[in-house]
Amino acid sequence: MSNSLIKIAVPVIGLVAALVLAFVAYFFVLAWWSQPPAVLGFGDGPTQPIAFPHTVHVTTAGLDCQFCHRIASTEEAAGVPAVAQCQFCHDFTRITGEESDSPTAETEIAKLIGDPLEGPDPINWVRVHRLPDHVQFVHAPHIQQGFSCSTCHGDIASMEVVEQVRNLKMRDCVDCHRDNEAPTDCTTCHY
Amino acid sequence: MALTRRQFLKWAGVTGIGAVVFNGCRVPDHEIQVQSPVEMPEDLVTGRDNYYATTAQIGAASEGLLVRVMEGRAKKIEGNPDHPVNTGKHGIRAEALLQALYHPDRIKHPLLRIAKGGPYRRIDWAEGIQRLTAIISDRPSSEVLLATPLLRGRVADVVQAFADGSGIRLQGFDALGCESVTREALRQLYGQNAQPDFDIAHASYILNFGADFLGTWINPTHFSRGYGEFRQGDGRSRGRLVHIGARYSTTAAAADHWVYATPGSEGLLAMSIAYTMIDEGTADSDAASALTGGAGARALQAFAPERVAAQVGVDAHVITELAHELADKKHRPALVMGGGPAAAQVNGLFNMMAVYALNALVGSVNRPGGLVFNPEPISGRVSSSSLREWKQTLADMRSGDITAVLVREADLAYGLPGALDARAALRSVDTIVSFSSFLDETSELADLILPCHTPLEEWGTDEPNPGPGYTTIGFQQPAVNRFHNTPGYGTLSFGDVLLQTGSQLGLPDMPWENMREAVRALAQDLHAQGRGSVVQPTFAEFWKRTLERGGWWDTGATADGSRPDLPALPTSAPADSSADPNRYPLHLVPFEGIGVGAGQYSHLPWAQSAPDPITSAAWDTWVELNPHTADEMGLKNNDVVIVESATGRTIRASVYINPATPPAVAAVPMGQGHRAFTSYAARRGANVLDILEPAEDAETGAFAWGATRVRISGTTRTKVVPKLEGIEPARQLHGEELIFVHKA
Repeated sequence: MSNSLIKIAVPVIGLVAALVLAFVAYFFVLAWWSQPPAVLGFGDGPTQPIAFPHTVHVTTAGLDCQFCHRIASTEEAAGVPAVAQCQFCHDFTRITGEESDSPTAETEIAKLIGDPLEGPDPINWVRVHRLPDHVQFVHAPHIQQGFSCSTCHGDIASMEVVEQVRNLKMRDCVDCHRDNEAPTDCTTCHY
Repeated sequence: MALTRRQFLKWAGVTGIGAVVFNGCRVPDHEIQVQSPVEMPEDLVTGRDNYYATTAQIGAASEGLLVRVMEGRAKKIEGNPDHPVNTGKHGIRAEALLQALYHPDRIKHPLLRIAKGGPYRRIDWAEGIQRLTAIISDRPSSEVLLATPLLRGRVADVVQAFADGSGIRLQGFDALGCESVTREALRQLYGQNAQPDFDIAHASYILNFGADFLGTWINPTHFSRGYGEFRQGDGRSRGRLVHIGARYSTTAAAADHWVYATPGSEGLLAMSIAYTMIDEGTADSDAASALTGGAGARALQAFAPERVAAQVGVDAHVITELAHELADKKHRPALVMGGGPAAAQVNGLFNMMAVYALNALVGSVNRPGGLVFNPEPISGRVSSSSLREWKQTLADMRSGDITAVLVREADLAYGLPGALDARAALRSVDTIVSFSSFLDETSELADLILPCHTPLEEWGTDEPNPGPGYTTIGFQQPAVNRFHNTPGYGTLSFGDVLLQTGSQLGLPDMPWENMREAVRALAQDLHAQGRGSVVQPTFAEFWKRTLERGGWWDTGATADGSRPDLPALPTSAPADSSADPNRYPLHLVPFEGIGVGAGQYSHLPWAQSAPDPITSAAWDTWVELNPHTADEMGLKNNDVVIVESATGRTIRASVYINPATPPAVAAVPMGQGHRAFTSYAARRGANVLDILEPAEDAETGAFAWGATRVRISGTTRTKVVPKLEGIEPARQLHGEELIFVHKA
C-alpha cells in the first residue's frame, strides 16, 4: 500500500472508529437515561407467542382496555385474560379468522384451541413494560384517578405489535406525579 | 497470521469469561414472562385479604381475635392487639377454631331420628324449629331441661330470657365445674360476684396453690401475658414464683420453687402460713384480726406448722420459710392465688378460703399486683351447675320428672363421672334435642339435632371473666358467611334458633329478631352512654368502629372497691373423705390437656396434636408415675396399666415415667376416650373422668374431681406413648439442680 493511501486511510478509519465508539457511547447513555434508539430492532416490541393485534380488538371491535385487563382499576397489576376468556369471546362471536383479511389470523386463533384432547396450554406472553424490582407500580390508583391507559402505554389501539413508547424511568414518574400533585415520597414507589 | 499456543489460550479464556459474563446479564425468562392461565375464575384474581376483629368464648377463657379472610374463607386466627385481655396473643384452642369451621365431620343440616335408636333423616330448619316448639309446648315446662356450657354476653341474655319466658330449667355444664369453688370463696371473702383479676404483671411475688395458670387454668393466654411482665418487664426486677401442687405442671416447671403438698391439704398449708404470719406479727393487723374473729393467732393454733406438716407432706421449716417469704416486705406486692385440683377437693371451699384470705394478710386486695376487683357484668351469665345439682337432675331424668333435654355442647354423657351413668339417665328421657355441630356422646342419643354455628359464623358479645379490672365487652361478628349454607338447611346461630322458637312460643322479653339485632341493641346502649374506648357522634359510626376494634371497654369503669368485712376463717379443717389409702395408694391427679382441655376440643386435630409441655406427648392417654413407684410395681415406660378407682371403674393407659412426678401420685391427662365426637376424637386413649369418684365439695356441692384415689395394676401389653421426647438424645444440664421435690 502506498504511503499516500495510508495517509488517507488512517484518519478515515480513525474517524469511523471514533464515530462508532461515539454511537455506542450514545446508545448506552440514551438506553441508561431513557430508551435505546430505535435501531437494529431495539425499538420494536417483542415477538409474542400469539400475534395478538390490539388494532383489531380495540379499534375494529371497539373493546375497552378493561374488558380484557379486568383488574387494572382495582389491583396492582392490570392482569392478562385467561385463555378461557379468549375462547369464550371467539366462540360466542364465531370469529375463527377465516373471515379475516389477515393470512395469519386463522392460525393464530387456532392456538387458543390447543390439543383437542388436552386443551390449550397457558400462554407465556413476553412482558413489554418492565420496571425494576425495587419499584412498585400499582395500576389501581392511576386508573381510579381517571388517567387513560394511553398516558403511559401510548396509543396501543394503533399498534399491531405492542411496544414501549414512554421511557418509564424514575424522572418520568416523578415529573408526572409532581405535575399532578401526587405524592413524591420515596415510599410511594419504593416499599 | 500465526497463532501461538499462548495466544490461543488467552483468546479462549477471554471468550469463555465473556460468554459467562454476558450470559449473566440476560434477563431471566420468568421476569419477562406474563402467563395467561387456561382457567381463571374471575373471583380468584384479586388475592386480597381482609381482617375481621371478633371474639370467642373458649371455655372459661375469652380472647379477642383477628381473623384473616381470603375470598370469603377464614384462613388464620391471631390475637387482637387491642383487646385488653389477651393483647394480641392467643391460645391453641382459639387457633383451632378454624378447624371447627371446616371440620369434615360437622353436621351440615338438621337431622331427625326416624325411630328410637334408628337412623336420622334430613329435615329443613322450618320443620326443625316447629318440632322444637312442639317439644317444649307439649309438656309442662318443668319437665324440660336446657343444658348449655358456660355462657356469657348476649347469648347468655337470650338463653336466660328463653328459659325465664318458657319456664324451663336451665343448667350450665362444665366437666370440671369451672372454678365455681374459687369464685364462691372470693364471693364469701370479698363480696365479689365478678371474679377478680390476678394482677400477675405487677406482682413481685406469687404464691400459687395448684392452679396451672400458665397451662390450662381459666385464661392462660391472659395470665401468660402478665407472667411475661412479671419475669422480664421493663423497669422492674424479676418476680419470684412459688408453686404448690401435686403435679409437675407447666406452672410448676416455670416456678422458682415448687413444693409438693398432699392433694387436698392445700388449705391446711395456707392456714399454716396464715398462722405463722399472724403469730409473728408480720400480717396486716386489721385483716388478721378480722380473719380470726379478733382472737389472733390463737384461733388458728390447730394449723401451726409442726401440727399440720405430716398431713400436708411439707416439713414445718419449709412452711415457716414460705410464710417468711410471703411476709417479706421486699416481696411487695405479693399475690396469692389458687384453684384447679386444689379447689376440686371435698374440702375445696375451705382450701380456697384459706388461700385467698392470705391476700388480705399481705394487703393485696384490690391493689395493683394483687387481686383486682372487676365491676359487675353488663350482660347475663350462665354459670356451671354443681355436681350435686347434676346428680339431682339425673335422678329427675330417671324418675320421669324431666322428659325432654335440650342440650347445646354440654356433653353430659362424656363429662360426668362414669359412676353416675349419665348415659342411662339420658336414655330414659322421652326426647333429646341437640344444638351441637358435632355428634358428641350426648348428641348421639338425640332424637332431633339442630346444628348451630361455630364461633366464626355468628354474632354475639363476650364479657371476660375475669376481666382486666374494668368493663370489657368483646364484640363477636361473623368473620365468614355460614359455611354450610344450603337455603333452608345448613347451620344456624344458637341464639337465632332460640329467638325464632321463642317467637313461635310467644315468649315475652325476647324483643330481638335475631342475634345481630340483640348485639346492636347492646351497642346502642353503650353508644348512648358516650364513654369508653369508642365514642362517636352517630350510632352508625360507633357500630363500625366497635366492630373494627373488636369490642368496647372503659378503663374508667372499675369496681367500686367496697367490700364487706372479712369473715372469720374456720378454726379446724373439714374431714377428708376420700377412699381407703391402703387399697388405693395413689392420688389420681387428672389434668386438662393443653389443647383438648377436658375433652371439649378433642375433635380438633390441632388441639389434639398440641404436645403436653411436660411430657411432649399428644393424641393419647398416659399415666405419669415416679420412677420409684414404677419400680416397685415392676413397670417400665409404655407398659399398659389398669387404673382403678374406688368406684370399681377402670381405664387402661400407657406408663410415662417422670422423675418429677411425686411418688404418691398418678397423673393422667383428660380429654381422650371419646366413643364418638368425630373421627379425630373417637376410640383414642381413655376417659379419666369416667373413673372419678362422684365426690363433692362439702359446702358448694361442686365436683371434687381432684379427690380420687386409685390403684394401678400391670398388664402384659405395651403401647408406645406418642411423644416428641427422645427424638433428640437428652443432655445433662450443668449447674444447679433444677427440680426440688420435697418428701411426699
